[in-house]
Amino acid sequence: MNDKFTTMTPWLAYFLIFGSMIFVGGDHTIHIASQIIILGLFALSFNVLFGTTGLLSFGQAIFYGLGAYITGMMAKSLGGDFFLWALLIAPVAAIGLSVVLGTLSLRLSDVYFTMLTLAFAQLVWGVSVKWSDFTGGDDGIQAIPKPDLLAGGLNYYIFSFIIATLCIYLLWRLDRSPFGAVLKGIRQNPTRISFIGMNVFRHKLLAYMISSCFTAIAGGLYAGIDKSIHPDMFVWTMSGSIILMTILGGMRSFFGPLIGVAVFILLEDVIGRSTQYWSFVIGAIMITVVLLFPKGIVGISRHFAVLFAKKGGRLDNP
Amino acid sequence: MSFEIFISQFFGGLSVAMLLFLVASGLTLIFGVAKVFNFAHGSFYMIGAYFSYQAIALFDNFWIGAVAAAIGAGLVGMLLEVCFIRRIAGREEEGAFQILLTYAFILILDDAVKFIWGPAYKTISKPESLAGSMDFGAVTIPTYNVFIILLGLVIVVSAWYVLSRTRTGKIIQAASTDTQMVGMLGVNVSLVMSLVFGVATAMGGLAGAMAAPLRTVAPGTGVEVIIDSLIVVVIGGLGNFWGALFAALLIGEVNAFGILWMPQWASLLSFAVMIVVLIFKPKGLFSREKGRKKI
Amino acid sequence: MKRKTASILSALLVCFTSAVSFSAETIKIGALYPMSGRGGLYGQDSEAAIKIALAEVNAKGLPGGKKLEAIVTDDQSKPALAVTLAKRYITEDKVKFLYGVVSSGAALAVTEVSKEYKTIFVGTDHAATDLTANAFQKYYFRVSNNTFQSMAAGAMYMRDEMKGAKKIAYIGPDYAYGKDQIAELKYSLGKLGVQYEMVGEFWPKLYEPDYTSYITAIIKAKPDVLVAGFWGGDTVAFIKQAKAYGLFDKMKYFHPDGGGNYEVFSTLGAECPEGLIMSARHHNNWPDTKENKDFVAKFKKATGRYPSYAAEGAYAGILVIAEAIRKVGNADDTEALIKAMEGMKLKLPEDPAGFTSYIDPKTHQMVQAQAIGVTVKNDKFPPAKYMLGKFKVYPADKIMPTQEYIDILTKSKKK
Repeated sequence: MNDKFTTMTPWLAYFLIFGSMIFVGGDHTIHIASQIIILGLFALSFNVLFGTTGLLSFGQAIFYGLGAYITGMMAKSLGGDFFLWALLIAPVAAIGLSVVLGTLSLRLSDVYFTMLTLAFAQLVWGVSVKWSDFTGGDDGIQAIPKPDLLAGGLNYYIFSFIIATLCIYLLWRLDRSPFGAVLKGIRQNPTRISFIGMNVFRHKLLAYMISSCFTAIAGGLYAGIDKSIHPDMFVWTMSGSIILMTILGGMRSFFGPLIGVAVFILLEDVIGRSTQYWSFVIGAIMITVVLLFPKGIVGISRHFAVLFAKKGGRLDNP
Repeated sequence: MSFEIFISQFFGGLSVAMLLFLVASGLTLIFGVAKVFNFAHGSFYMIGAYFSYQAIALFDNFWIGAVAAAIGAGLVGMLLEVCFIRRIAGREEEGAFQILLTYAFILILDDAVKFIWGPAYKTISKPESLAGSMDFGAVTIPTYNVFIILLGLVIVVSAWYVLSRTRTGKIIQAASTDTQMVGMLGVNVSLVMSLVFGVATAMGGLAGAMAAPLRTVAPGTGVEVIIDSLIVVVIGGLGNFWGALFAALLIGEVNAFGILWMPQWASLLSFAVMIVVLIFKPKGLFSREKGRKKI
Repeated sequence: MKRKTASILSALLVCFTSAVSFSAETIKIGALYPMSGRGGLYGQDSEAAIKIALAEVNAKGLPGGKKLEAIVTDDQSKPALAVTLAKRYITEDKVKFLYGVVSSGAALAVTEVSKEYKTIFVGTDHAATDLTANAFQKYYFRVSNNTFQSMAAGAMYMRDEMKGAKKIAYIGPDYAYGKDQIAELKYSLGKLGVQYEMVGEFWPKLYEPDYTSYITAIIKAKPDVLVAGFWGGDTVAFIKQAKAYGLFDKMKYFHPDGGGNYEVFSTLGAECPEGLIMSARHHNNWPDTKENKDFVAKFKKATGRYPSYAAEGAYAGILVIAEAIRKVGNADDTEALIKAMEGMKLKLPEDPAGFTSYIDPKTHQMVQAQAIGVTVKNDKFPPAKYMLGKFKVYPADKIMPTQEYIDILTKSKKK
């Protein structure tokens, strides 16, 4: 009973909060909520590589931008109805690209893996800006058409919420599956995993492909929020901010990255209004979280849970 | 291509390389030797330039500015290390939190600089003694660039000597590889780490002051150098100063000739080089690092 | 995950809903500018200029006794953030006007928001010609000049003042701003029948720290004129580095869009070479009219420094908005406001004697004269030691984008 409760609570909270937005939210709130759920999906996919498998990829923005640009360019040239088809094609393209990039990068360890993914990311970004005849360069692409059913902020939010929830559910099942357990084992002790007869490289590659697939879906969804995209989405700072939000929220717990995204976006919104020194304030908050909460923001809840835990309450990952 | 053009591009590339090395040298110390993910390395480069600017405004002497930059950046670095980085030492996900912490430093330093000195661009002039240029037939090299080249060489030789030929250097290397053991030998490891961090940030600050006469001093300039520095450090092999120098030369020259042969794509060449190097030499060209921090 | 997570998330929920309060007495303008990083200078100067303009127009009074007010938020020059902020301004703060934006990429995204929400967007800084050409939509107005105007004037200067120059090289940052400038210069030169040979095009990245290898290559290419397309700190860095190589002795340096912006001079100080041929979107020392002198003096008094070019645009936009509101009688009838702004004539600080800027009714682009000058010693605006002088003025109506060029843009950018 206790176990089921701790497992279901986060999902309950998830549906409660994001679901209630549909009835409660004003235009701006819906806009923010859409950004949170989509970037949250990005962060959760990223965490399959990072928190779960221990691979710090600085290049996931490649797939995010890829998803956005495939969706944007297809919809613009073929019409709004192709928007949905693009959302199916984008992850496929991402998986294809991830096989190539993954095979090249995953042979490397730690910081070298990270730097190679960064180099690929910057290369892709450079091409997206310079090949302006094809991609529009850094003018970006605006006025991306959507199917009529998805026009309007609220409708699109509901759509994104449904798609994102499906993806998040799949990622969640993955996390709790034997495959997920192997990934966690690879993070903790790759040698031992290979000794039990598992192919470490193949597992890493699969994790990379899965992460890229869902990241591309997030990118494709993003194209529909403002109907405008920009090569910014490929830049290393895009990957960087997802990494930060993931660590901030808590990379060892499943929903941690989503919480990190939510907190960061809300902070930027609230603090950006009040002062031009938002940089300083957010930096100070980040330092506070790091010093006080070794498990990220998720650790805050755990902190309180420890204080108020009933006897026999369980404290590990759901 | 004529010999003249070749020579002039070659020496141009050499200048670029040495400045690149200067900026990256602090990072290879921090990242490669002390094993700290110092994302904010560029910010120390930036505040070094600002400290130098302020000192020159007060004392009208370039060299005082350089010293102020090194000391100022070093002190700020040590302060941040003692107050924050040290507190997360030994944590399970130390590496990840170092990333987060040092990124927070970038945010804070950017605003601090904007608050103290304002958003307007600042400038530092070359010292009178180095303001001219030297002509070698077809090639002109500004005297200041020659100075930078010499400074870079001094740094690489001193760093290599200190780290591998002196007892202090060996303690430093040992302390980051096996903290416990070295601590048991009676070395105050925390102090050593703080000092190394301070020296590395001082090097970053000095590089900022040295580069400033050629560039603009403005808020936000820190983030602009971190990627290039990382590339140099990784290609050269973490912790390897000679490696970093070689990597800087490689990137500088590839860039210099890339501008002639493929002007449209020259700015992407450093990434292409890193990709090629890492594919064929997965640990960088001359890596000598052992044991990595678990994230 | 524990129930405490749920309570944390619920607490965050409170942040979602924010009370919207607005006084019926103020008309709000939502301004987007970079307030941090390299662009921060332009944002800060724009904000200061906005405050000066607001004080003036509110003192003069607006219909119904209402006051004009501006909210300024840092858009960090990021298109996605600019769009989020623009939408928030409209839906939550209920602004009547979107305003500002330095980055052209962000402006292109914000103009779509303006179109979708039917809210007037007054651009004060970004210079991409697209916004008043192929990306034009009727709610958009721009009160500063676009790159086509600068480059068209530049082409005329080259035809008249650089008759001996045959070989041209170009160096500019490798993104739309850099690309557009040379494309527009080439177009205008072609239209004027100027013969030239392109001996090299160089594309350093934006914020390139080290131009050395570009400088050596340019010198070896031996152009008569080097045309440059940098802005801000990149201009300063390039000039400093090129000077050491004696580049300015070997060729003319021609920088018709943002080269002569005041921040370049105030940063370079005594290091500025003489004889560089440049222009700017606004000059502190030209024209020598009362309006310009007053504006510069007011800015200096308010902030303690002389304005960069961004300030004049930010100042002008407020005057345009106030004038439109006065003509219409209120700030709610958007269609009437648009009509009022179209063709509006307003004497601005950057207008030379005998000329008044006006907004072209068809493209909503402010039509202004361009002045190209040469760097000469001038210490009237410290910390700058050089400013532009020996100005050549180009008439406003001769430098507007032609319909032919707009069509070219439309085809090439698929908009």
